[in-house]
Amino acid sequence: MNNTAKAIVEPAKVEYDDRAVKQMIYPSIVFLVIGMLVGVYISLNPFVFPDHISSEYMNFGRVRPVHVLNITLLWLLSADIGLVYYFVPRLCGVPLWSSRLATVTSWIWWPTLILGTFSMQFGTNYGWEYAELPMLMLKFIPIKLLVVVAWLLFMVNIFMTISKRKYEKMYVAIWYTMGALVWTAFTFTVGNLALETVPGGISRVNMNFFYVHNLVGLIFTPLGLAIAYYFIPRTSNTPLYSHKLSMIGFWSIAFFYSWIGAHHIMHGPMSQWLQTTSVIFSIWLFIPVWTVITNFFATMKNNWKQYTQSVPVRFLMVGTLYYLVTCMQGPLMALRNVNEITSKTDWVIGHSHIALYGTFTFFALAGIYYVVPVIVKKPLWSQALADWHFSLNFLGSMMMFIALSTGGYLQGLAWASWSNGNSYVEFLHNFSQLSFVQTNENLYWWWVARSVSGVIILAGNLLFLLNMINTIILKPVSEEERKSKKMIPDARVGA
Amino acid sequence: MKNQKQSFFHRLDKSVVWTIVGVLFLFSTSIVVTLIAPQYVDPSWTEPSSIYQVQMHDVADPNLYVNAAAKRTETLQFVHHLKEDYTLLAFVESASTRIIAPPHLEKYVTRVGAPATKLTSKLLLLRKPAPSTSPDGFLASVVVEQLQKKLQEKWVKANPGWQEKRLAKPYYEIYELYSPGGTEAFSLAETDGVFEHWIDKNFQIIDEAPQQRYHLDEGVLYVKNPQEYRVSPHQIGSIEGWKFDPKGKKIENVEELTSPQFGFMSREQLIDLGEHIFAIEGCWYCHTDQCRTLVQDTVLNGTPTFPAPPSSANEYIYNRITFPGTRRIGPDISRAGVKRPSREWHKAHFWAPREASPGTIMPAYRHFFDKDPQITSKSPFGVPNYRFEAVYQYLMTKGTRITPPTQAWWKGEDPIQTLLIIDGVKTTGKWSNVP
Repeated sequence: MNNTAKAIVEPAKVEYDDRAVKQMIYPSIVFLVIGMLVGVYISLNPFVFPDHISSEYMNFGRVRPVHVLNITLLWLLSADIGLVYYFVPRLCGVPLWSSRLATVTSWIWWPTLILGTFSMQFGTNYGWEYAELPMLMLKFIPIKLLVVVAWLLFMVNIFMTISKRKYEKMYVAIWYTMGALVWTAFTFTVGNLALETVPGGISRVNMNFFYVHNLVGLIFTPLGLAIAYYFIPRTSNTPLYSHKLSMIGFWSIAFFYSWIGAHHIMHGPMSQWLQTTSVIFSIWLFIPVWTVITNFFATMKNNWKQYTQSVPVRFLMVGTLYYLVTCMQGPLMALRNVNEITSKTDWVIGHSHIALYGTFTFFALAGIYYVVPVIVKKPLWSQALADWHFSLNFLGSMMMFIALSTGGYLQGLAWASWSNGNSYVEFLHNFSQLSFVQTNENLYWWWVARSVSGVIILAGNLLFLLNMINTIILKPVSEEERKSKKMIPDARVGA
Repeated sequence: MKNQKQSFFHRLDKSVVWTIVGVLFLFSTSIVVTLIAPQYVDPSWTEPSSIYQVQMHDVADPNLYVNAAAKRTETLQFVHHLKEDYTLLAFVESASTRIIAPPHLEKYVTRVGAPATKLTSKLLLLRKPAPSTSPDGFLASVVVEQLQKKLQEKWVKANPGWQEKRLAKPYYEIYELYSPGGTEAFSLAETDGVFEHWIDKNFQIIDEAPQQRYHLDEGVLYVKNPQEYRVSPHQIGSIEGWKFDPKGKKIENVEELTSPQFGFMSREQLIDLGEHIFAIEGCWYCHTDQCRTLVQDTVLNGTPTFPAPPSSANEYIYNRITFPGTRRIGPDISRAGVKRPSREWHKAHFWAPREASPGTIMPAYRHFFDKDPQITSKSPFGVPNYRFEAVYQYLMTKGTRITPPTQAWWKGEDPIQTLLIIDGVKTTGKWSNVP
């Protein structure tokens, strides 16, 4: 079962220019913190303190996309790109095809996305979920087009690197990366640029939900899994359990994921056959997630001691657990009777946070913990801060998911209670006993718990930011000083 | 460059090529089946829900103007843009309204007790008769005076002893029907800017030949008793304004009406703008726009007597952006035009949501209002501006155009009979309009 994994050993002679990695990862860490700050703000206003801040630019509707775009694009996608710039050359045994092209890509990527994201408060929202970036800003900056251009340049760079590789066999992380690159190009184009090519109304809704689900399933999932597939064996210094299993996972994702968009509009004004199709394919998605979980846990089978020693391992394995949770929630939420209770409630928000934060952010954080000391050629500044970072994130994430999932489920049950009985008269009576506003009021303390958990998570990530900045900018400490001050030994592999 | 290209394709091994082909093939299949096929398989995705919806969108919305910048007038004003051979007009008498017409225009008037309403697309208007002689020698003012006397004498005969009973002698509104000349005119609208006059029974269109495709529909929108829209300037303090004045200046054309001086916008523009504001303000993050095929949704969106019919794809065909929503922090808006029709409620709700809807967490949208330091308007809030009117008109299209008003679900005429379905009478709970 262990065949190609032995090939993951960096050749001593190749010089990797990691400029591209730094250009993507360093800013992404800052935006992680900004995104979470905005997240804490919108969890408080209007959910916990609705009466205090209310203005054209600070209302929830205008600030929410700032949080979402910060986290999805400025943090997660950017960090994933940076980590891809790190592991693809190393898996291929050759340096990145063109460092200069990567620099050009970064120079297009960052200003475009920063402008697009922070303009939301000034009324530039495109109006479609996850496609909020404006088409044209200030009448002449083609934001979405520039993102596509940057992505295509990134794609070219990576494909050229792969084409010039030294090792014949391709590790699973390379498969996932190639898939993600191609899928992203198509998905982004469909969801952002092609919406107006179909008739107005439900056709566009359908296309938007196709885009929304492929964003998570064919962009963040393969990139996140590629990162996990590389860094789990890497950080624990063990070969991957099974290549064959990972291929099953890859192809089942490739086949099933793009059919499930309609599960976002179950029971809605959407053709029943399309809804049913999405349910069936959603259930089939149990297959890839079990291949991934098995593979990762089997890889760690005799190495669990590393969990206590290495922060990246902790983030990776808890991330894997959250991946299991979110990929069980997802298919089940597509079922019609489950959907009746969970949809349109905070349960959905909990689900999206388990996926993007619990799974993929944890994977990316693990990757960054491994990569930064390597590329700055210095050890991590503080192990204690890293431990605290993990603990606070783990505690905060558990709290957030429990609060959102429970509160959301209760609200769904409350709405469904209106349908107790046999006639409209009875339903109306139920409705008169429990108004819509009351179902919201009952969520108040769950929202407070969510805000508290958000603050805990933010605190953990502030420690992370501090740790990273110090690792990057402070002078390296020599071995003698390290031993005399009883600092942690240099944990870098091959240091 | 060519060398590089050659070496790239040389180095691409078969497995990569097959992977890319495989990925693209699988992806394309899903795109064809889930994205492209449905609009051809499912007619409801592209067909309108009723001819009323089509006519409102094509005929009424572009030709109804609202002075959404209500700063310089005291009241919101609605103006129809009437076009010869396009807009259907009706001149209908009622118990207190009479119409006199020169002989060649007699045939266009629908008298009291007439069996069918007469409609025409010829451009005619009503006015209080001018004291001077009209060009064709028809002395309208004289005729009106005589008619007024005659009607009042008739009433007196029918109500002897009216003085002892302290009844008031009625004053009849008598108008003259006349032809203004030209091919377009503007009239003060009789409607409230949300519903238009619609007729689908007992009507006939008196034109030589059908002038528009929509005149052949089973039911048509029409403008009732149009009077010309004229304005005269006035001044409130230092603010110059204008008001409706039947004896004032005529509006020449649409450019003048929509100029900054008058600030009118068509309802079509307002609805588009409302949809745009709904997008940029992020209203869709909290409010969904779909009444799902679930009992709890039909109850949430229904009236005290009738459940709301679930949303069908036909309702959304004229949207540029549709906001079905993924989170319901605030109530669903897909039937807001029926559940919350009052303009005053919406003013209160955007100005101070907690006043209109106690317990809500919705923030205030005060930029939908202009400051009113001298409190010249009678409103307790700021003066609503064009943003407010845009969002209001957009919301009023929700749930009000599924069927013509004569077959409205809130009047119990629901064509899919939602009430019978959820009471378990009609079928086992499946909505038959959802394919």
